[in-house]
Amino acid sequence: MKIKVDYDLCEANAICMRESPKVFEVDDDDNLQVLVEEPGEELHASVREAVRLCPRQALKLED
Amino acid sequence: MLPGDINLNDLFVFDDGIPHDWFRWMRANDPLRWQSETEGAGYWCVSRYDDAVAVSRDNVLFSSSAGGTNIFEVGEEQLVVLRALMLNMDPPDHSKYRRLVNKGFTPARVANLRSGIVNMSREIVDSIAERGECEFVDDVASQLPMMSICDMLGVPAEDRRHVYDLSNTLIGFDDPEFQVSDEDRMNASVGMFEYAQKLGDERRANPGDDLVSVLVNGEVDGEKLNDLEFNSFFLLIALAGNETTRTVTSQAMRLLIEHPDQRALLVDDPSLLSGAVEEVLRYNPAVIHFRRTATADTQLGGQAIKKGDKVVIWYPSINRDESMFDDPDTFDIRRSPNEHLAFGVGEHFCLGANLARVQLNAILGELVSRLPDMEFAGPVRRLHSNFIDGIKEMRLSFTPQGKAT
Repeated sequence: MKIKVDYDLCEANAICMRESPKVFEVDDDDNLQVLVEEPGEELHASVREAVRLCPRQALKLED
Repeated sequence: MLPGDINLNDLFVFDDGIPHDWFRWMRANDPLRWQSETEGAGYWCVSRYDDAVAVSRDNVLFSSSAGGTNIFEVGEEQLVVLRALMLNMDPPDHSKYRRLVNKGFTPARVANLRSGIVNMSREIVDSIAERGECEFVDDVASQLPMMSICDMLGVPAEDRRHVYDLSNTLIGFDDPEFQVSDEDRMNASVGMFEYAQKLGDERRANPGDDLVSVLVNGEVDGEKLNDLEFNSFFLLIALAGNETTRTVTSQAMRLLIEHPDQRALLVDDPSLLSGAVEEVLRYNPAVIHFRRTATADTQLGGQAIKKGDKVVIWYPSINRDESMFDDPDTFDIRRSPNEHLAFGVGEHFCLGANLARVQLNAILGELVSRLPDMEFAGPVRRLHSNFIDGIKEMRLSFTPQGKAT
């Protein structure tokens, strides 16, 4: 699983950080940081939730 | 109830509140019901959650721009004007404009406004606390949205009443009580454009730390916004920022009064506040519907849709879809998860969602903690509209309290 962020869509709503804080972090300047680009198996469920819930559809998964 | 009775064009039905019996029937029996119209071609009604998400996320197949986002049909000439509003754009245009404005609405930016919003909320409650009664919509619910959005835009204090009156004239279109003629509405939009022009010119010359400065000095594709684009932005933000949050604030207080057990929970445990705000948004979303237009023949929820058909999402129904929410008709401030679509989803996800949440938490926190025994002192009078689930008058009484400041 690989995470792709479309930064043209991302508005730092930080829903992903709520769902999967080990993988996503929105810093104080409203920039989304992906902490782990290829998260391990144990994080997949929470990352899928983050992708599903992003109000702007800014997150995509590959493989 | 007979399905033949259902008529979502009948605004008199909405005077008594959202027709949830109809929507419940539609979700169970005809989730993409065809609603005929006397003046118009008719439209498909999206009543289920999954279909609403599918439509909202597919901006190619379900366009906001092709016919606008209102149910009524408008001519090509009027569409050109409507398409200057982001609401009625599709990607890639929408995405470009959104990138320019969203800098004003990110969580960090809104967090900077929080202490000001909390102070304003305290002053608003101060203004009624000693009286023991109020007309909640005018005295409380309408105040904070106007102040907050004017703060954000950079409208000086002395001009705020003017902007507020103009925005009310523009919104009250369906309700005969507001006595808004086509001419009044035209004058109000001209007035709003003139005001925007004046403020924009000022900020071009002397930029400040406000959204108007960002808009007039920012660029889309290397070009500054022209006057029509900027004025349209200003109008949309002033309108969308006033009516919606006022509506949810009024609905929140109505719901807390009507559910004393839920209010008692909140009074005892203020940490439940943000959950309560989400439940109010689910239970009575401010916007009742938005429309899309199909750009090709397609299938939706098992229903064949033809190119050019109007497809209308009914948010009060989406937010009570039994497949997403247990006991959807129960108002439960501890509901979790609560993935309501009061702000929509996808490309057009409400730009002001973060700002609205901060405002709603601030004003309700102040009200519940300081005036915990508000009661109805007259009938709740609703807006005559199937577009905004508004309340136009709600007289309340309570035990008088001292001011906080």
